[in-house]
Amino acid sequence: MPESSLGQLAGKVALVTGGARGIGLGIATVLVERGATVALCDLAQTACDKAVSDLGAAGHSVLGTVADVTSRDSMESAVANVNTTLGGIDILVANAGVWASEGYENRPEYNDADWDITHSVNVRGVVNATEAVIPYMKEHKRGKIVNIASHGGRKPRGTATGRTLGMPYSVSKAGVIQWTHLLAVELAPFNINVNAVCPGELWTSMIEGIFTNRQNLVGGGSGGSVRNEYDEFMQTTVPLGRGQTPRDIGKAVAFLASDDAAEITGQALNVNGGARMN
Amino acid sequence: MSNATNLDGAITLITGAGRGIGFGIAEVLSERGSVIAISDLDADAAGTASDAINSTGGQAAAFQGDTTSQDSMDALAAAVLQEFGHIDILVCNAGVIGAPGYQDRTEHTEADWDATFGVNVKGLVHTTNSVTPHMCERNTGRVVNIASQAGRKPRGARIALGSVQSPYTVSKAAVIQWTHLLAVELAPHNITVNAVCPGVLWTPMWETIAENQKANNPELSELTSREIFDLSINERMPMGREQTPRDIGKAVAFLASDDASEITGQALNVNGGAVMN
Repeated sequence: MPESSLGQLAGKVALVTGGARGIGLGIATVLVERGATVALCDLAQTACDKAVSDLGAAGHSVLGTVADVTSRDSMESAVANVNTTLGGIDILVANAGVWASEGYENRPEYNDADWDITHSVNVRGVVNATEAVIPYMKEHKRGKIVNIASHGGRKPRGTATGRTLGMPYSVSKAGVIQWTHLLAVELAPFNINVNAVCPGELWTSMIEGIFTNRQNLVGGGSGGSVRNEYDEFMQTTVPLGRGQTPRDIGKAVAFLASDDAAEITGQALNVNGGARMN
Repeated sequence: MSNATNLDGAITLITGAGRGIGFGIAEVLSERGSVIAISDLDADAAGTASDAINSTGGQAAAFQGDTTSQDSMDALAAAVLQEFGHIDILVCNAGVIGAPGYQDRTEHTEADWDATFGVNVKGLVHTTNSVTPHMCERNTGRVVNIASQAGRKPRGARIALGSVQSPYTVSKAAVIQWTHLLAVELAPHNITVNAVCPGVLWTPMWETIAENQKANNPELSELTSREIFDLSINERMPMGREQTPRDIGKAVAFLASDDASEITGQALNVNGGAVMN
């Protein structure tokens, strides 16, 4: 049977952190459609239950686990649970992330809490999830790790916004890209691929908060709704003129997690309609 | 269960597809359901490649084309459109390492600059000029350019002896920049433009590189070309293995598929982690 007629990820077990909402849920959905057995973990029990139930209604059986990526112990328990229930882990998607600390909708500048939370979730959270799966992957001499960074972690395009709120987030996402490079070298001898996907601006609860912040502080560019302002921003700043969807990110993750990408490691791939290029 | 990188019925034109990486791309895209127009400077190589695909259940046709000539590329696009009706995917793959005699030199010559610029840069411009107006009319299309990890920043350690590889490297950096610029240019027409940067592959081009090292580096004079290649893999590749033309084809298939509709202007290294971006 030619490769192309098989499910892209048939027989693989994937764990998606932050998999109950937003981009993570889009990734989990695409992976399960492509034949993977998916476990998702999320900080919130209610979100976890809803994702498991929604995917169940669409005919997909997924495992939901409550876990906190900022805690090594919590991630080790979640991974142990996946290993026991699903018989191993072939793919880790380290997706859980935050934009800033509470109350950011009304602040123009970053504060210490923003630096702390972006570092602990976006950087240390990825490290914790990774370290929890590495022993299994090393032992089996195979594995795929896909980290969700952001094109905000790439070099800026030169236009300053005059507002520094997003800096801790962008610095943390640059950290995810560098972690991806370093970990790829570290794990290459074990036949484990490590790559990152850098999403552009997607209409998720995170972006809604960012554009609410923008509107609260500088007024809506178009005077319209937060969503209208987002659409206008995408039309004017993104070459392809549109926002991406969580499923778009899932498709890139599916490729990087598949055998088609066996020779790709240490790379960060922008999925952003060309908004930044590398 | 949905499939990966399905290209059922898509018409693909690949330059330099008679051998090496170009043929590997043709094979994979054909297996994923695409109909392949194989173009090569060497008409016999194009014919052999096309026969190979047709004899294994695919659909392909051979075309002679010289990417250094705009007239030749215009004629190629016209011939492919006449044969297949339209072009969905363009893979600009044809490339050269240097001018004839490259194997024997350690320093670059004027002819190396001319050959690499003429084929690796202007060749892509000619091919693109001939095909993308048609894609713009249909308001859809995919362009994938084959660059090289050599077009990225050097890692500090010199790989080739002397400067003979500099023109090639500079030309491949230009392919990456051309990819960025063309992506912006064609985005309003719903055409994505991306590049794949292959690492180290055992192809006729790498045989030439190995011959050059053998001729100029006394330490390597007793080794076969393949042994020199293997040495390079061991020294430079984190994953410790070479890439194959089919590996490049799989990345091209992804970038040409609906799965990558939101990816444009990007260059993707397929190189076992030897250079990272």
